Amino acid sequence: MSVRATELPKAYHQAVERWRDTYLPDFGLLVERWDQFFPKDRPFRLCAYRECGPCGKIECGERKGEEKFVQVGEMGPDQATHLLSAVRAQASTEFGSIQQHQLTLSRAQDEQDQFWILRMMAEELRHGYQMLHLLLNDDWSKATSRSGADMVEEILSMRTGSHILGTFNVDFDSFVDNIVFCALIDRVGKYQLSMQKVSAYRPMAESMPEMLREEAFHLAAGVLPLRRWAEQAAQDSVYVSMPLMQKVINKWLPRGLEMFGHEKGGATNVRYGFKPMVNAEAQQAYYREVGRVLSDLNLRFIRSRFPELSHGEALELRRRVLDEGEVVQGMGPEDLLRQPHMDFYRRRGEPAFALVGFSGEVFEDPDLYLRHVLGHMPETYAAGRDFKGYADLLRQVHSGKLEAQEAARKTPNLSRVGGVCPCSKAVRWVDRGVTEAGLSPGAS
Amino acid sequence: MTKDLDIHPLDELSVSGIAALDEKISGTYSPETWEKRVMYYIRRDPEGSFVAESGGQLVGFMLGEVRSGEFGLERATGWIEVLGVDPDFRGQAIGRHLAEAMLSHFRERGVERVCTLVSEQREGLMRFFGALGFEASDLRSLSLDLSPEPTSGESS
Repeated sequence: MSVRATELPKAYHQAVERWRDTYLPDFGLLVERWDQFFPKDRPFRLCAYRECGPCGKIECGERKGEEKFVQVGEMGPDQATHLLSAVRAQASTEFGSIQQHQLTLSRAQDEQDQFWILRMMAEELRHGYQMLHLLLNDDWSKATSRSGADMVEEILSMRTGSHILGTFNVDFDSFVDNIVFCALIDRVGKYQLSMQKVSAYRPMAESMPEMLREEAFHLAAGVLPLRRWAEQAAQDSVYVSMPLMQKVINKWLPRGLEMFGHEKGGATNVRYGFKPMVNAEAQQAYYREVGRVLSDLNLRFIRSRFPELSHGEALELRRRVLDEGEVVQGMGPEDLLRQPHMDFYRRRGEPAFALVGFSGEVFEDPDLYLRHVLGHMPETYAAGRDFKGYADLLRQVHSGKLEAQEAARKTPNLSRVGGVCPCSKAVRWVDRGVTEAGLSPGAS
Repeated sequence: MTKDLDIHPLDELSVSGIAALDEKISGTYSPETWEKRVMYYIRRDPEGSFVAESGGQLVGFMLGEVRSGEFGLERATGWIEVLGVDPDFRGQAIGRHLAEAMLSHFRERGVERVCTLVSEQREGLMRFFGALGFEASDLRSLSLDLSPEPTSGESS
């Protein structure tokens, strides 16, 4: 097994560096202080890594056991189009998350948390770079008439509000968003990368191992501060409370679930050998894993509040409070984190625009439902465009003006027109009105 | 072997289970210590260390990594550095399954030699590694005591 590092052709490499200078202005600081925060780790390098391993056989789908595709040209047009959608969506998410994190990066209270997020942002940039490497390193004419240069420019031109997946169009309100995003949304990334590790397209499969290694750190950059906040909250810290963490989790978990694509989709990706799991299967596994995260945080909270308890006693206390609803020594269910219902606040997929509450309860009146949702969101979130867009669509769906699945596709979508130079600033935006279907990495 | 044993790579959620297992063995609850250790391995090679779970409970773990250029070993060498098995689950081949997963990972990474250090007083551990095929090697463990010299008043 060997790892090969390559750089994009100079013009594209420089275009990514210019993008970095705009959206990741603290990159220089990260490089400067890398040894202070990550003394034993290899220095960051902006490049594409490909791990060339022995497995050259397709691992799932209708061509299982055959040699993997080395070039897009070996695939049929539909298969190539599916693959291209996945690469573009993956690239968009990587660049998109950096733009989101930058909004609130400077608000971190703890310098280590801030530098961990900064490292994560730099590695997301590398992941985006990796996807550009796939776009530029092959002939995609079976899937699109657009040139590699044009596709790269489109991706580098996206801003929060125009990314392919809705999650990457939601603004951050505080540094708690940075942390919860890592713990929940990067976890979706881990699932997507793990699935793409078996991709029938060999360059994609070879791109995943290093990305997965980096993603493991990103998850920790979320979970570790959450643990510390939970322990501090148990000691009545005035900073990040459990209710605030709960609300930010409620904001992101529904978006994370939607990133897997429609619950009934994913079969085509499996058939083509791009992923080993259909959307619903991966989404369920993700939801269970988020449950483990919340259980872990609750345990930290309990052990910090009641240090005299053993591990077993703390587990029993957690069960009594959450499952039986007991209040024990002043601690009740509302003091611990609870997992929102899978259908809560959904705008895509099977439960899109259904009036399903936090605990699975069903509402009749959309306005009452909106108030219920807002009661479970961070206060500042209500003032953002994301919630307003959802509320407008929800009212249209429940007044019969719009079908739920039609509303699900009606998210703002902007597209670049004109200009092909990778460093072009001449970007115009046009509202296409409806998001293209099937662009989610999890959709089929 | 326990029926529902699940061996999988270490992740950031393994910390609590490892800290609980260590607490069961040593009587000390030190999640911060384990968090630092686990993060070390996650940052270097998250697929190279493994945990064993049974019924959703962590019952064993094995931490290690591939290094080269140390101790005169220029070629990539796998190191098994930390091993823990729940006392209630001993005798169920959990350590062996963890080792098989780790050795398989080392092979994938092109490792041809695996090393570990075991105290000669830990006979069970010596037998465990012996059963896996480990043998005494040409590497010798050396140590130097740096504790302060006792003053005359403190000597017994």
